[in-house]
Amino acid sequence: MEKENFEKKLSDMTKPEIQGLKHEILLADAIINAKDKSVVSWWWLSVPAFVILMLMMKSIFMPGTTFISNIHEMESTQKYMSIIFFLISPLILIMINALTIKKIYFLSGSPKSVNFLGTIRYNVLVIILSLLILIIYLF
Amino acid sequence: MKFPWFKRIGIFFVPSTIAGWIILLSGIAFAVYSFLDIDGKSHSVSDTLMNFVFMLLIIGAIYSLIAYLTSRVWKK
Repeated sequence: MEKENFEKKLSDMTKPEIQGLKHEILLADAIINAKDKSVVSWWWLSVPAFVILMLMMKSIFMPGTTFISNIHEMESTQKYMSIIFFLISPLILIMINALTIKKIYFLSGSPKSVNFLGTIRYNVLVIILSLLILIIYLF
Repeated sequence: MKFPWFKRIGIFFVPSTIAGWIILLSGIAFAVYSFLDIDGKSHSVSDTLMNFVFMLLIIGAIYSLIAYLTSRVWKK
């Protein structure tokens, strides 16, 4: 009797089934998160980009002013605003997007393919634009 | 509170709950108020538009940040 029960138990026992790989779920979540982060980053970059565009137009249409002089004027008149949008926000965006790329790179098993670059292209663009804004502001 | 409040479509975060709609409508109301305020102080149409677009981008940036933070189910 006991033996039969044991055999029945054995036949009922199955291997644990895993519906989806945890690693795959993590990678998919990281990619969606990276896209969301790049959208937020574009919005935050649009503010200094708009200001730069306006200052460029000012230097073109107002005689006697240059783009650099307009930037320096803005630095003195709008001190806190310029520090937030031209210094702090690009630095934070660079850090956040770099960490996101690192996470995806790590989760996808350190790939060396074009597909990986395609996945993170917007984050790379955000980093490049943030660096450009920092360079314009600091030099 | 029931998350997520927003879902992303392209470069916009669209509200999916009442809380999300309240945030969006507050943003729109503040944008209208800033337009009227800027229009009252400025001397030309281009002056109004330049300052208003700048304010609109700031509102959009803050809205997208709030929407991003509330569009995810944060794991404990």
